[in-house]
Amino acid sequence: MENLSILIHLDYTLMVVAIGAALLGTVSGALGTYAVLRRQSLLGDAISHAALPGIAIAFLLTGSKAPLILVLGAAIAGWLGTLLILSIVRLTRIKYDSALGLVLSTFFGFGLVLHTLIQRTGNANQAGLDTFLFGQAATILERDVLTIAILGGVALMIMLVFWKELKLLVFDEGFAASIGLPTRTLDILLTSLLVMAIVLGLQAVGAVLMSAMLVAPAVAARQWTNRLRLMVFLAGCFGALAGVSGTIISSTASRIPTGPTIVLCATVVVGISITFAPNRGLVWDRIRHQRNRRDLKTATGRLLK
Amino acid sequence: MQASKPKAIEVTDLTVAYQDKPVLWDIDLDVPPGVLLSIVGPNGAGKTTLIKAILGLVRPAAGNVLIYDKPYEAQRRIVGYVPQRGSVDWDFPTNVLDVVMMGRYGALGWVRRPGKNERELAMQALEKVGMEAYITRQISQLSGGQQQRVFLARALVQDATIYLMDEPFQGVDATTERAIVTLLQELRANGKTVVVVHHDLQTVTDYFDWVMLLNIRRIASGPVEETFTSDNLRETYGGRVAFMK
Repeated sequence: MENLSILIHLDYTLMVVAIGAALLGTVSGALGTYAVLRRQSLLGDAISHAALPGIAIAFLLTGSKAPLILVLGAAIAGWLGTLLILSIVRLTRIKYDSALGLVLSTFFGFGLVLHTLIQRTGNANQAGLDTFLFGQAATILERDVLTIAILGGVALMIMLVFWKELKLLVFDEGFAASIGLPTRTLDILLTSLLVMAIVLGLQAVGAVLMSAMLVAPAVAARQWTNRLRLMVFLAGCFGALAGVSGTIISSTASRIPTGPTIVLCATVVVGISITFAPNRGLVWDRIRHQRNRRDLKTATGRLLK
Repeated sequence: MQASKPKAIEVTDLTVAYQDKPVLWDIDLDVPPGVLLSIVGPNGAGKTTLIKAILGLVRPAAGNVLIYDKPYEAQRRIVGYVPQRGSVDWDFPTNVLDVVMMGRYGALGWVRRPGKNERELAMQALEKVGMEAYITRQISQLSGGQQQRVFLARALVQDATIYLMDEPFQGVDATTERAIVTLLQELRANGKTVVVVHHDLQTVTDYFDWVMLLNIRRIASGPVEETFTSDNLRETYGGRVAFMK
């Protein structure tokens, strides 16, 4: 009887974790589509790394590990990092990629120092903060799932409400501005949504690999469709798939960090998509190439007769 | 031109600089309604920047732009814009019809989605540019000329009074060029004002009735027959032009 209740309990925990991973996979996959289409994949990397000190500072200031507080700290730090990158590009002669690298490593280093300091203090409450580095989905509790569901839901809702405005911004910013869309505000909105998706995923996936959760599902989705609507939807599904399978795999064996497992699962999806997707896939490409050659041969053969 | 006549576009003392380097210097330009105006000048003359400054896309260091006596912000609805074809990523996941409907986004306003009406307008515009057979075509699978026609169709559904076009002839074949010219002349015949950034000096006299010669400063502007002179051309291109009228 006792065994049974443990089993049920375990299953329940796993279910909570899997739901959390699915939700954040959906949110980061869908919003990551915009980052990929705007060629801002690296910005996601910078934001996730820059978010790390925010978590530490939020914990140091409040002493709390409530998900909302840590997420807020991460979001503020991620935002500051983004702002800093943009200011460096605007005010100095340093190029975008250098500014990105500079901010990413500085914030990340600072975050690591803070986390080490927190660990040294031996605060019993601190256990778990280091999961933000490589992610530990097993630490996802019901309250975390609730946070992810609410904030992620809001982010997706905003994306849907401003669908056509965001689409035009990403496709043709000049035209968008010419018809009066406030492109700078929309840009800030889109970046904020990206920050939101990233900080929600930090606990499960970790700062180091979070950007893969933005990029991989979108890249895979692009292979299967030529419509933005479907691409966003598929990226969300792929993100959820990677999230769930990665979580389950990492929880069956102890001491496997969830982040890398989820990312590996996402990579498998990308690999399959790049190889087998119709029209854009490598196999398809090969077949088409062969067919063209054959057609050309028979055509020239006929001409020469 | 008399001061009392209405001006479709009025640019006064416009200066635009990118990091201390002037790209446009003290530009004055009056465009009367109903003309087909080409802006010509060498590379780096500021042609694109002038279009963008009229549209409020770049902030001028000095000067003023008026559209029918009002600032651009108040006149967006009557201005259509065709950006350079190379300014967007044609691998964006969308199709021809969808891009053309983007021309209605301004009139639709926030949040509202394009519907049946927008679809119909887009179809009409695509017919006008001879692209009605391509509505579901992914835009990456279009030729350069077809991409240009799609952009023109998007501007047409804006149903504007003034059209600003940045190099609509760039990289298109002879057939498309003919089709575009016919379209532009049709627009003018319907009383629209069309401003076109143009590269090919050979065709200016054939295609356009007004011309502006630009090389950071305005060299000259006015009706083609008065303005498009070898003296003005030499001044614009620094004597390097082998073209004679």
